[in-house]
Amino acid sequence: MKKLTYFPGCSAHGTSEEFDSTLKLVLKTLDVELEDIPDWNCCGATSAHVMTENLALALPMRNLVLAEKLENTTMGIACASCYQRMKVTKVHMDENPELAKRINTTVVEEGTYKGTVDVKSMLQYAYEDIGLEIIKSKVTKPLTGLKVACYYGCLLTRPKNITKFDSPEYPVSMDQICEALGATATEFDYKTECCGASFSISNTEVVENLSGQILAMAKESGAHAIVVACPLCQSNLDMRQPDIEKKQGVKYDIPIFYFTQLMALAFGYPVDQLKFPKHIVAVEGALANIGKFQPVPEKVKKPIKAVEAESEDK
Amino acid sequence: MITLGSQGKNTFLEDVNLKSGANVLECYQCGKCVGTCPVSQYMDFPPREIMQMVKLGLRNECYMANSHWFCLTCSACSGRCPREIDIPAVMEAVRHLAIDENYINDSKKVKEIRKFHEIFLDMIKRYGRNYELRMMAEFNIRTRNLFKDMHLAPKALLKGKIPLGVKPLKSAKAIKRMFAIAEKLEKNK
Repeated sequence: MKKLTYFPGCSAHGTSEEFDSTLKLVLKTLDVELEDIPDWNCCGATSAHVMTENLALALPMRNLVLAEKLENTTMGIACASCYQRMKVTKVHMDENPELAKRINTTVVEEGTYKGTVDVKSMLQYAYEDIGLEIIKSKVTKPLTGLKVACYYGCLLTRPKNITKFDSPEYPVSMDQICEALGATATEFDYKTECCGASFSISNTEVVENLSGQILAMAKESGAHAIVVACPLCQSNLDMRQPDIEKKQGVKYDIPIFYFTQLMALAFGYPVDQLKFPKHIVAVEGALANIGKFQPVPEKVKKPIKAVEAESEDK
Repeated sequence: MITLGSQGKNTFLEDVNLKSGANVLECYQCGKCVGTCPVSQYMDFPPREIMQMVKLGLRNECYMANSHWFCLTCSACSGRCPREIDIPAVMEAVRHLAIDENYINDSKKVKEIRKFHEIFLDMIKRYGRNYELRMMAEFNIRTRNLFKDMHLAPKALLKGKIPLGVKPLKSAKAIKRMFAIAEKLEKNK
């Protein structure tokens, strides 16, 4: 049994509750125990670093200091935005002890920052610490026939010198996880384009434009669904999809899954535990593709690499 | 309004370089950032022009531009910059300097973007976490656009996409203290 410190982020109690609950199902199967940070606070998201310098580092630092009190060496973060704020803070603090000392004055009562806990996104944790082979071994209901466009957004792999994970331009980790589940990852060029992120409320026009392009490209790649690992990407692409369709005069009808939902599905969890009714765009149409095509015979092993697999299918 | 050279102790270029940790002088104006930027079409001055304006010391013009308010910090530009300049950090430095010196673009969009961030921070200060429903309601009230996104509300609320309440932190005092100290640090730079 592995142990992991867990930072769910504010959205885990609302917007992305399905991410949080399916992640817990998946990690149960993978034999990982989560330990919550006691009384964690908001990371400050975009707003803190847009408006102020110090608060943007102080808010994540409190969580880092609290995480260091637990015994685990790694903190797994569900939300991509929380992950980035925490990682940025950690990198700055580790590189610049003087700055760390200064920011530490805001959270003196919680303790002194030591820099002993590593910060990872849950995608990174699944890919690096659990690994494709183990994920593959837990699959009981392969997602054969389901074509997915894996969308990473800006925060999981960029900036490269901060995240140090996968490629900032054409990442493949999520594609490989989806392939391990039996699904087919399409060749999708908008993997790391921005969805409009925090403009969701304050500048909806920009979000509709940018997310609209991502939906169009996913459709063109032949995907039945988009897979994400970020609550804000999910809500922009899912909740705003009907408006985007109306604006562009196109029907996309592409459901937006968290990668943990697909993992739980492939691991054999019943559909009613996967919180599909929370989606704005209905998922049934896309899921009907599973097993629809001739299943791949067991002896012919699919190559894990996303791009190769796609070209072989053709 | 053009201010060349220094205003106060440092030149504008020095201020921006110091704050961002980047060296804007390294920019050779290839424009790759503009082609990459997902929001450059909404900016008064796209990233390449902001870089040149910083070099020229056009302090007021940079402050009053909407560019640094539209920057999403997606870091696509810096990943492709052949000079490896941290352009989002430059944008952030310009924005923070502009906020410090109270030079704010007063277009409707920038006002709304700013209001959103202020309300978001206010939620954290009050509850330690984000209270989405209240944040959206306050945004609509304070931008006098009561019916914005109202057509999404029934579905989102019914499906539990947006929870009705928030569970405040036990150590709410710690957060208030943090805000107070951070504010002091902000003033004594």
